[in-house]
Amino acid sequence: MWSKRRVACTRVMIASLTTFVSVLCLGAVATSEHGFATERSAEPSEDTLAMPAVLKNISRVPGTVEVNLVAAPARLALLPGHVTSSYAYNGTVPGPTLDVHEGDHVIIHFRNGLPEPTTIHWHGLHIPAVMDGSPLHPIGPGKRYDYVFTIPRGTAGTYWYHPHPDVRTGFQMAMGLFGAIIVRDANDPLSKSLPDKLLVLSDNRFRPDGSPDIADPSSPQGEIDQENGREGNVLFVNGQVAPVINIRSGETQRWRIVNVSAARIYRLAIPGQMMLHVGDDGGLFEHPREVSEFLLANSERVELLIRGTSSPGSRTSLRTLSYDRYDPHTRPPDWDTAHDLLSLRYLQSPPLAPIALPAVMRRVRALDTTRVTARRVLVLSQGLINNRTMNMSRVDIRSRLGATEIWEIQNVVTMDHPFHLHGFQFQILDRDGVPEPYRSWKDVVNVRKHQTVRVIVRFDDFPGKWMFHCHILDHEDHGMMGILEVRPPLARSRL
Amino acid sequence: MTASIIGLRHVMWIPALGAVLALGAFEPLRSTQHGDPGLRAQLQLGRALVLNHDCNGCHGGADPASDGWLAGMTRPDQEFLIGPCAFNTNAKPCFHTRPRNLTPDNATGLGRFTERQIFNAIRFGLRPEDTPDVAITSMTPGKGNFPLHPHYLAPPMPWPGWRFMSDAELRAVAAYLKRGLKPVVNKVADSEGPPDFWASEYTVDKIGRYPAPAFPTAKEIAPR
Repeated sequence: MWSKRRVACTRVMIASLTTFVSVLCLGAVATSEHGFATERSAEPSEDTLAMPAVLKNISRVPGTVEVNLVAAPARLALLPGHVTSSYAYNGTVPGPTLDVHEGDHVIIHFRNGLPEPTTIHWHGLHIPAVMDGSPLHPIGPGKRYDYVFTIPRGTAGTYWYHPHPDVRTGFQMAMGLFGAIIVRDANDPLSKSLPDKLLVLSDNRFRPDGSPDIADPSSPQGEIDQENGREGNVLFVNGQVAPVINIRSGETQRWRIVNVSAARIYRLAIPGQMMLHVGDDGGLFEHPREVSEFLLANSERVELLIRGTSSPGSRTSLRTLSYDRYDPHTRPPDWDTAHDLLSLRYLQSPPLAPIALPAVMRRVRALDTTRVTARRVLVLSQGLINNRTMNMSRVDIRSRLGATEIWEIQNVVTMDHPFHLHGFQFQILDRDGVPEPYRSWKDVVNVRKHQTVRVIVRFDDFPGKWMFHCHILDHEDHGMMGILEVRPPLARSRL
Repeated sequence: MTASIIGLRHVMWIPALGAVLALGAFEPLRSTQHGDPGLRAQLQLGRALVLNHDCNGCHGGADPASDGWLAGMTRPDQEFLIGPCAFNTNAKPCFHTRPRNLTPDNATGLGRFTERQIFNAIRFGLRPEDTPDVAITSMTPGKGNFPLHPHYLAPPMPWPGWRFMSDAELRAVAAYLKRGLKPVVNKVADSEGPPDFWASEYTVDKIGRYPAPAFPTAKEIAPR
């Protein structure tokens, strides 16, 4: 009975199936696979991985960081060897890093030199809603805006900034607009002598002339991009392809990794060695976790301690392993291929003595589940949150200052959706009922296909309208977003 | 029973399908106790339609008392192979499609979908997880609120034939699946398919018009 059915029901499919074979072949072409076999005799100890420039502080007032930032068209070689038209912050991709301390007063004199409206969203920072750079506060072409905010105490960590205009976020980021933010703690529990490296992971896809290949939405590739989010086949670290980081045996390095890719999820691993996971989106947590790999969804950050556990002269790489975040219909043909991101080269120098780490890096106090004032269910489906697309004049969730809420985020579809809440850091309680094994501050959680994740969040400050959305940029731009309004607390009764 | 999707019917394209389909109100999920005689009758109608459409032939179970009743595939031989590989094992492309769990389990079945989403799945072929809980106002991709790039149920689900059930019948099927069954936990792997989510297979040219042309057409005989 079964075999009969199988034959019968397949006959119709064959005639037109040949058409999409060519579509599938349009996927990734070249990867960042490369050989690292040849050892040079004169050993350079400098990394070829360059750190992005740091935004220059023009203020002389202690505790104040005042910087100039311009978004404008630029002629750059996003793909090495191909100068093309792009967008850039202060002329570089990635944009310069905003490097500040907890408690700093920050003034950013921003000018929009683009031919279209933009905003800057300070992803993960806990700052007033009007400074959040959401689509509610666009800055027109040629206009200036001063973003002014104070970095709250206790928020040391790695963040990033990017445009967040209505409908155009994916385009503007594909054109080159993104940069990192480092918030430092004057009393950082990790030694300041650790080499502190920032790794901004991005991907892009290019036309033969080296310009970003942004597919027509009605083309086959455009339809796939709308499903999967736009993935690139060239993988960058700080805008470089396959750079080198040097390490000494026994040495410990602190890597702050930011995934600014539109859709790609990185399953990070260093073959042959373990990594120490010490920080998440909102900074360090209590106890280091030894991990062999780490899943970094788009817009997430992670802090890893990389220890030189191999012998002098050896080499390995930071790789992204295969990870199936896709609906089976639009899974790219090379989805199960691993890609090297950078080469990790051990210097010939004699080993260093390993350092000791503090037993507790940073206390992360659990949000009190007994004080929860609301429980909400958010259903993520294809391009929708609770069956709706974004409407800028609608409020989807109303809450009040001082509220503590549990949000149950249900993904009912066959692909992952990384969920981001603006303005507030939350804690993950459990995934499919399995308690989260450690506690950290997060502003993004990747809700896997068919998964339910519960998070707890407290709206302790900053009333106003805040976005929550899928951080696959194509989904966000197509309206997989909603608005949370946090209103001032109710006036106390006079009775 | 799968004949309805294999028939390459050459029907002239008639764009006048835009008639707004008034689907009526859906029964709210009032009670799981079947004390309401109207609900009991509706569930029995749904059950009868499920039986005489052989839903369990693919989705599992021999009769409503048997294990795995409508709970989705449990054995590899319940999988379908769609594409040239149905004839030649190694031919490409090859899509594995799998009868899913129709019981109202939240995590693995239809528990998270409303009865209207289930109705929309059988009437329009739209995957419930990709289709909002709304009345669909058109039959043409991009018109009304019918998705421009529809995500259709994987073959061989015979919705192109079953969409001709009446609104009341489809509502009864949805009510039976949601309110007449106990949830069973059975995770079925996602079906595979082409990047267009089968849109090129479910054109009017291939599956015909809905509603069907009025009787009698030139191919039919009406009694005098």
